[in-house]
Amino acid sequence: MNKIVPAHNIGGYVPMIDGPEKVSGRAKYTADIMAPGMLAGRIFRSPYSHGEILEVDIAAALKLPGVKAIVTGADCDKTFGVLPIARSEHPLARDRVRYRGEPVAAVAAIDDTTALAAVRLIKLKVRELPAYYTAKAAMAPDAIAIHDKKPGNLERDVLFELGNTAQGFAEADLVREETYNCAEVCQNQMEMHAAVADYDAVRGRMTVHASTQVPYYVHLMLSQILDMNMSRIRVIKPHVGGGFGCRTETLNVELITALLARKIGGSVRTVITREETFITHRGRPETDIKLIIGLRKDGRITAVECECDQRGGAHSGYGVVTILYSGSMLYAIYDLHNVKYLGRRVLTNTPPCGAFRGHGTVDIRFAFESLLDRMAGELGLDPFAVRRANYLNAPTFTDNDLMVNSYGLPECVDWVERASGWKARKNTMPKGKGLGMACSHYISGASKPVNWTGEPHATVKIKLDFDGSVVVLSGAAEIGQGSSTILVQTVAEVLGLDLSRIRIVTGDSDIVPKDNGSYSSRVTFLVGNAAIDAAQNLKRVLVAAAARKLEAKPEDIECLGELYRAGAQDKGASFDEVVVEALKDTGTITVTGNYSTIPESHGGKKYRGAAIGGTMGYSYSAQVVEVSVDEETGVVTVDKVWVAHDCGKALNRLTVEGQVQGSVWMGMGQAMSEEVAYHDGLMLTANMLDYRVPTIQDSPPIEVGIVESNDPHGPFGAKEAGEGSLAAFLPALTNAIADAIGIRFNDLPVTPDRVFEAIEKRRRALGKEKNSSGGA
Amino acid sequence: MDALPAFDLLRPTTLDEAIRIRVAHPGSMPLGGGTDLVVNIRRGIVAPAMLIDMNAVSELKTIRADARGLEIGASVKLAELAGHPDVVKHYPVVAQAAGFIAGPTHRNMGTVGGNLCLDTRCIYYNQSEWWRSANNHCLKTTGDICHVAPKSRGVCFATFSGDLAPALLTLGAEVDLVGPTGRRTLPLSKLYIGHARQGEPVTETRGDGKYFLSLRPGEFVGAVRAKNMPELRSAYDKIRIRRSIEYPVAGVAVALRREGNTLADLRVAFTGTNPRPVLLEGTAALCGGALDERVFKGLDDLVRDQIMAMKTTFTPGHYRRRVAGVLARRLVTRLFTD
Amino acid sequence: MARILAFVLNDRARTDAVPGNLLLLDYLREVVGLTGTKTGCDGGECGACTVLIDDKPTLSCLTLAASVEGRRVDTVESLGTDGQLSAVQRGFHEKLGAQCGYCTPGFIMASAGLLRKNPNPSEAEIIAALGSNICRCTGYVKIIEAVQYAAALRAQGIAP
Ligand SMILES: Cc1cc2nc3c(=O)[nH]c(=O)nc-3n(C[C@H](O)[C@H](O)[C@H](O)COP(=O)(O)OP(=O)(O)OC[C@H]3O[C@@H](n4cnc5c(N)ncnc54)[C@H](O)[C@@H]3O)c2cc1C
Ligand code: SF4
Ligand code: FES
Ligand code: FES
Repeated sequence: MNKIVPAHNIGGYVPMIDGPEKVSGRAKYTADIMAPGMLAGRIFRSPYSHGEILEVDIAAALKLPGVKAIVTGADCDKTFGVLPIARSEHPLARDRVRYRGEPVAAVAAIDDTTALAAVRLIKLKVRELPAYYTAKAAMAPDAIAIHDKKPGNLERDVLFELGNTAQGFAEADLVREETYNCAEVCQNQMEMHAAVADYDAVRGRMTVHASTQVPYYVHLMLSQILDMNMSRIRVIKPHVGGGFGCRTETLNVELITALLARKIGGSVRTVITREETFITHRGRPETDIKLIIGLRKDGRITAVECECDQRGGAHSGYGVVTILYSGSMLYAIYDLHNVKYLGRRVLTNTPPCGAFRGHGTVDIRFAFESLLDRMAGELGLDPFAVRRANYLNAPTFTDNDLMVNSYGLPECVDWVERASGWKARKNTMPKGKGLGMACSHYISGASKPVNWTGEPHATVKIKLDFDGSVVVLSGAAEIGQGSSTILVQTVAEVLGLDLSRIRIVTGDSDIVPKDNGSYSSRVTFLVGNAAIDAAQNLKRVLVAAAARKLEAKPEDIECLGELYRAGAQDKGASFDEVVVEALKDTGTITVTGNYSTIPESHGGKKYRGAAIGGTMGYSYSAQVVEVSVDEETGVVTVDKVWVAHDCGKALNRLTVEGQVQGSVWMGMGQAMSEEVAYHDGLMLTANMLDYRVPTIQDSPPIEVGIVESNDPHGPFGAKEAGEGSLAAFLPALTNAIADAIGIRFNDLPVTPDRVFEAIEKRRRALGKEKNSSGGA
Repeated sequence: MDALPAFDLLRPTTLDEAIRIRVAHPGSMPLGGGTDLVVNIRRGIVAPAMLIDMNAVSELKTIRADARGLEIGASVKLAELAGHPDVVKHYPVVAQAAGFIAGPTHRNMGTVGGNLCLDTRCIYYNQSEWWRSANNHCLKTTGDICHVAPKSRGVCFATFSGDLAPALLTLGAEVDLVGPTGRRTLPLSKLYIGHARQGEPVTETRGDGKYFLSLRPGEFVGAVRAKNMPELRSAYDKIRIRRSIEYPVAGVAVALRREGNTLADLRVAFTGTNPRPVLLEGTAALCGGALDERVFKGLDDLVRDQIMAMKTTFTPGHYRRRVAGVLARRLVTRLFTD
Repeated sequence: MARILAFVLNDRARTDAVPGNLLLLDYLREVVGLTGTKTGCDGGECGACTVLIDDKPTLSCLTLAASVEGRRVDTVESLGTDGQLSAVQRGFHEKLGAQCGYCTPGFIMASAGLLRKNPNPSEAEIIAALGSNICRCTGYVKIIEAVQYAAALRAQGIAP
């Protein structure tokens, strides 16, 4: 007979539990939901950048046979927005349109053809207002306010100085200032936005299927926009085809579809186009950075000054959070003192930006690691040595009060140095080839949620019933990142059961406990801990039942997963027998697990503008990128990437590797080819031909090293794995290009034409030099 | 679900039938793989009342390639052309150009006829109906200005981006055109009429950028033909921002003949730059000597004079023109020394 | 005008009346209800809609339904037998070639098309064959491994 041992469920390579649905085409995404009689929704969007609305004429459209309802701004005077302090957006514009593509009206019709025909009949009349497409133009003294409450079009400015930068710079051996520009980028997840809303007029209930990362926020905003009691709303999140941050706030398509459904008292499905998905946007803003670093000969950073302007688009969205993160997350990776930060989030007449993977940290990290690399070179220091000279000494609190308990950056740095063969190869690369390195970090969930309600940060329920199946109920939104798999693994691990015993139900507000959603990499850490708590509570119930059944004391009961026994000699009771015993008095058992962050992690108490970035655990990443540059054409090829990521503890090595590879690769897109561009506020690149996401033929092998720093608070020691490795790619790339051809690129993306141009410029400059020296 | 304007689709199996349908339905358009046309219909750029699916027309589906000559039917798929052993062997420039187009799945669909008659492209044109209307359209469709060259009087500068044309131009190819009035054969270079000078009338030999092919009403491309010149070495190369799902930033075809140390013949053609594929004029003057700086300098001058890349793509025109020259140089060097 | 379309869909003969302007993608999803095939772009730019027509990977978003008359169309729903996943499906599942899964049916069909033609592709051949498909999650590394694994499963006769 096999010896019974508890099943081990973490630390291995575990395929995702919902994989079979996805590979067989059975997984339903929002657009796959259809029912007879369902109407087609379609949105009429402003062709103007900025204007006072004079008239929205829907008369002709309403007369079109097959049109069932049209909603306009007149149907809803409420506003929405993710931050309680910045809810400035109407689902359908009222009074003013502020960007080209802003929803103005929407049609529900019997089919898409009719809906489209109706949209074509809608006429919008406006009095045009001056429009601003750059942060600079919007901040000009004579610019009119895009939102009345935001004079100067400043959504938020932040200024802090911690320590004494003047003194810090005075102590430096080298002080350098550089400016950087990162183009706007967009998540462009593969699933286009969609919503299905069904209004039960008899009962006054609304059900919305939404392709979202935050079903709870959608629930809140639906209640606000529809002016309906929350108890009458049900939000269902089917499979979601990626998010990367653009679905971390309620989107107008969800609200508009609900408005339509209520108006007709039935079901409406709105699937927007790729172009509209781009325009819905919520991407990473165009960012201008001025950075000054003071560096000593021994590699120590003595002071940092950073100015950061973000072109935020026409509405607030997450803007305030983004600009705050950009400052506060200067910290918690290196031991920094004497830091000054000035951030400006600017409103412009372009589609609203939002939270994109690596939220707030990516462009700043690009600038920082680029400048550090440049200065290291100037001081004759090895890039690795400079990073090593500035390590934090964890556990510690940073100057801006961020709590760092586990710190695997040194191991990450060592790993990529070794794996890439840096020492042997760095100075022997052939012409046109180069190696570059950089580091980055990210939070594992914000310690303070956006909506502070006093509830625990995460709640998970487990249901155990007569059949012995363990059903995990969680509101955590599985969006492809593998959160459901991690929660199942976690519960299975605590109970010592095989994964196949555990099922998970997510994404239906009627059934699962509320969850804040999948953003800022919070799920594994916060929800994972809640799942552990729930599983432990269940185990306690089972141990008590086993004790009753085996007539032993609970503290003598040993849980082996499928077997509970009182000591090694005991024959014990099977899991199924224990379940029967446990259910005897209570019937179906449900247990709850909670998790709350500790107050010490909330951070930034002391400083205005540093009041964000607190988390229970920071992940760390180091990367080495190898490139080849074709100096005649400017074409850059990434030959290979080595990345090490400190995720605390890899609960699932397969998904950690997948997340890290995906992050690095997404960083590559931003660094090399992706760019949202406008022509007078019209998005020029709102398709997948001009918005250039790398293809498989452009993508390098990415070798992943997993570093486990075992965070004291993380679930089994785990921290986040899905965002922290994105940022380091950008500077590692440009540092590698600098190594290959001696030119530093401060502006992203580094497209072939830019490389070509820079090489030409150098050639011309050298030619001039030669000429002038020849003439002397 | 995409709401396309209403149209009918017919699938003739013979060329005669295709011609008959075309005559009966003046508003019809031939459909190859649809990788360009269906995109344009979905964007509301064109709205033909009828599509004639050319893929079942058996006469148009053959490739004949040997040491003497090459003939490719208009309905041949790009993937087949790129992988055809005799094309690869005798006409490498054609196989390479075909193999570089779009992406592998696109090449299973796209046809030779569609590629030769590919609509010209522009960042202000290849946009949705909503987008173009918000931008007041442009003169390639229903508007009256050109956003690329606002001073243009009636001329469109949209870029020709098909990869096969330059390859075939270096081989001196001819096209067979079939239509209601019969068949005719034209040098391929004459199919592309680009645009006239500002203000000049449009004729069969001078287009305006909107009308950039010298097809007569109702005419199809039936086949394209080239003779082999056994000594000719040829190759194709192209610059793209991505290696797939991407039109050329610039594409270059080169065919040359080397006699001893002498460059005896040189043909260089470009795509992705001008409103038509350009076979450089004046390369004969560069022949007759060694491959030296003089040739390269001369080539650069010809490129500067004849290659004009306007701001029709997101990638700057200046770069497209310069890099086209770089590729030409490289290919010439490689072919000469190989 | 609607025309009669007779063809073979996932191994079953099928006859339908379809208008000329109906895309094969919309026909499959909205008329037949086979929603495994996905829409990822406004036409020809992402590969999410890839199906096999006579074993060749094809973009259903640029194909008109009426043009598949007399041909054989296979969607992701055709793969797998007796409730078991096919080799390609197992590869994408077990090697994490699918994260959010939205691009997955397209990648799986492009890969299935490749393996039908070339049962033992090199890494370069896999990369060449999947060039019309975009995935926004994986960075492609594990997609390549998935196809290699699938080829091995088929070669060993473990999965069809
Ligand atoms: C993402 C993407 C990338 C692309 N990249 C490239 C690229 O790199 N290089 C490139 O060259 N192309 C590219 N293309 C365009 C296209 O795929 C190819 O040019 C293809 O060869 C077009 O052929 P088709 O059969 O699909 O043409 P269709 O779309 O069927 O037709 C194109 C035009 O030709 C006309 N036509 C078709 N057949 C005939 C005929 N026999 N006689 C007269 N007129 C005819 C049609 O009426 C239409 O006007 C790309 C397309 C996409 C979607
Ligand atoms: S070149 Fe001018 S006229 Fe031609 S498509 Fe572009 S904007 Fe329109
Ligand atoms: S849906 Fe994107 S290529 Fe077909
Ligand atoms: S798995 Fe999400 S797009 Fe590929």
